[in-house]
Amino acid sequence: MISFEPTDEEKAFTEVAYKFGGEDIRRSARENEQKGFVHHELIDQVNHLGFLTMEEPESLDGMQLPLISQVQILEALCYGDLGTVQGFPGLGDGASVLRVIGDQQIHEEQRHFVKENSCTIAFAEEVAEEMAQSRLKLTKSNNAYMLHGKSEPVRLGNIATHLIIGIKDDAGETILFWLDKSRNKWEVETCDNRLGLREANIANLSFDEASFSENQIIAKGNNAEKILQLAYTRIYILQAAKQLGLMVAALDYATEYTATRKAFQQPLAKFQGVSFRIAQMVMEIKMVRNHIWQAAKATDDSHSNAEGYALSTMFAAHKGIRFVTDSAVQLLGGHGYVQEYPVEKWMRDAQAQVILYGREREFLTRRGDQILAETEKKVMS
Amino acid sequence: MISFELSEQQHQIREMTHWFAENEIRPISLEADRLGYVPEDWLEKVNQFGIQLNTSSISNSKNESGNKKGVREGNRMAVIATEELAWGDPAIALSLPGAGLGGPPIQSSGTQEQKERFLTIFKNDKPRWGAYALTEPEAGSDASNIQTIATKVDGGYLINGQKIFITNGGRASWVVVFATVDPALGRAGQRAFVIEKGTPGFTCSRLVEKMGLRANETAELLFEDCFVPIDNLLGGEEMYEKKNSKRSGFQTAMQTFDSTRPIVASMAIGIARAAYEYTLEIVQQGFPVSGKYHQMAAEMFAEMEGMINAARLVTWEAAWKADQGIPNAKEAAICKAVAGKMALDVCAKSLELLGPIGLEGHIVEKLFRDVKVFDLFEGTNEIQHLVIARRQYEPYGIRV
Repeated sequence: MISFEPTDEEKAFTEVAYKFGGEDIRRSARENEQKGFVHHELIDQVNHLGFLTMEEPESLDGMQLPLISQVQILEALCYGDLGTVQGFPGLGDGASVLRVIGDQQIHEEQRHFVKENSCTIAFAEEVAEEMAQSRLKLTKSNNAYMLHGKSEPVRLGNIATHLIIGIKDDAGETILFWLDKSRNKWEVETCDNRLGLREANIANLSFDEASFSENQIIAKGNNAEKILQLAYTRIYILQAAKQLGLMVAALDYATEYTATRKAFQQPLAKFQGVSFRIAQMVMEIKMVRNHIWQAAKATDDSHSNAEGYALSTMFAAHKGIRFVTDSAVQLLGGHGYVQEYPVEKWMRDAQAQVILYGREREFLTRRGDQILAETEKKVMS
Repeated sequence: MISFELSEQQHQIREMTHWFAENEIRPISLEADRLGYVPEDWLEKVNQFGIQLNTSSISNSKNESGNKKGVREGNRMAVIATEELAWGDPAIALSLPGAGLGGPPIQSSGTQEQKERFLTIFKNDKPRWGAYALTEPEAGSDASNIQTIATKVDGGYLINGQKIFITNGGRASWVVVFATVDPALGRAGQRAFVIEKGTPGFTCSRLVEKMGLRANETAELLFEDCFVPIDNLLGGEEMYEKKNSKRSGFQTAMQTFDSTRPIVASMAIGIARAAYEYTLEIVQQGFPVSGKYHQMAAEMFAEMEGMINAARLVTWEAAWKADQGIPNAKEAAICKAVAGKMALDVCAKSLELLGPIGLEGHIVEKLFRDVKVFDLFEGTNEIQHLVIARRQYEPYGIRV
């Protein structure tokens, strides 16, 4: 039965998250950005609330929440500040890989390490081998793998204790493996990132003929590709939910500003050019939220169209966050451009998030290829 | 719990209406467009089957009894079914017998006697229609400015004025007509009347020719000293005379929009889907499987699919709210604005993919002509923006 009513439990979680996001995260956001990392007290708080382990499997002592619950909570947290949330340590996007592979494929040694330590995972994938900037290479000789080169910038790379990497080897086979700072070596090159998400510990990772053992391989070939596909479906939905939180923050801020600031002796809201833009922001947010909820439910229910929904959702969320954060800056006028107001940071963070999590046109092409190959003509519903 | 799965009943009605749209509506679509009307024998036939566009089940009433489990899902059922009918052909869907857009105001504001008298006439002995008349030559989006006058006389009112763009207005057995007892009173002076066909002084002065929806009748109505008995004042005189009553015809009209905008949005979605699916089939057969044309088509279909899906979800949300008895004016405006704009864009993109062959013999060009009005009637896109902005600024005490 079609319903847009969250459960009582989801409402309770979300209320706590909104309070924490709107107050604690929002208050510390600018300072976190200036320092380039999230203040440890805030990390302790979010840890205490349990919001860092929502995606993690129960076998790793995680909450293993369904996506439909997670997206509501993430929206609420990112209402405070997207950059700060992206800077939280933990299993990050790697949690989705671990969630997908399940208990059976998590090596006992790795499981023990993750459970016993404050582990932070950065997740990198290098599959677009035709791209010029893809400089990470995996070669195989005498049954041993060797990783060489420099990755694209990855979130949490700066503080990662572990890495999960998906890459095609020189024979074209996809290998999904994980590296451990205690026994594998890599160099961290902090990005000279002036755009946004500066507190998200984004870094390039360099490898010099780094080898790893067989038991660090999570999956190979088709199995690895399937895991990556399922993990990315989850990651896209979770990231879209974070983006939605920032969109709502930008809308609320711009609404209040245009309701209270006057020009030509009347509130800005009274000018139709202003109020109509606010209306467009409202519409964009409604659409993105519904996309996210539908994709989350489809993934929780193992719906065959889940990946298609996720691709569509990420495109909508990217387009939406650019429009809404730009609109907020525009509606604040000159004040939107200066750092006394948060919207300039939100617009920068939004653009950084968009380029970090997939090219918009690529989402369309991938979903479009699926559509053209399908025999079912109907639009998904 | 959040869910996007159709209930068994919703699934059944979608399957049934789609079958009807595919096998009965779509085959006569282009011919009806060429003729400029839906053939009478076809209307007789479908009416005998009991197929109607009856939106009077749409209600925000908390008293609606609901399905077997006591769950009210009339609004969700209506948007699901309407999407399918419009997928077949929107002009024919709008021409189906039934109360049409005149149903919701009677359902929401009529007395029990009026509901029985006007909403029970739609039987399968012969096709009958209801209609809704608000727009005037000088009052479209500004519905508070209507000039049609209702003058109180012994036993009723004399109506004088003109209404334009009235769907099924010429053939309707009755029309819900909005008029003012005193223009100086503004919205408070408005009343809604049900005026029956054949009432002296009530004539259909013209049927207009349009860009699209050509098979559907759009009428101009004239009221010249048209006497309407007091029993046909919607809600009855008592409703307006109650102390502190803020009820007016304007509120009836606006409340109607909260019910009908999701219906109109779902029609736009059905049109967009029709264009999308038709074009997809042609592209799958005729386009190369790689290269720049393939990539262009892939991107456009993915974008269209996302747009259609987004519009459908906001429409379902508006309908779900209505079923829950939760105020849905904002969501109703959102879905109407999103769907109206989206559907035109999807039709244009579909034509772009078809290229010059789209000019002739393909339904997509007709759908393009049909769909434009869905961004106009039941409140233009700009009016929807206004409604949304008003709701957004409400907490700040600002009325934009």
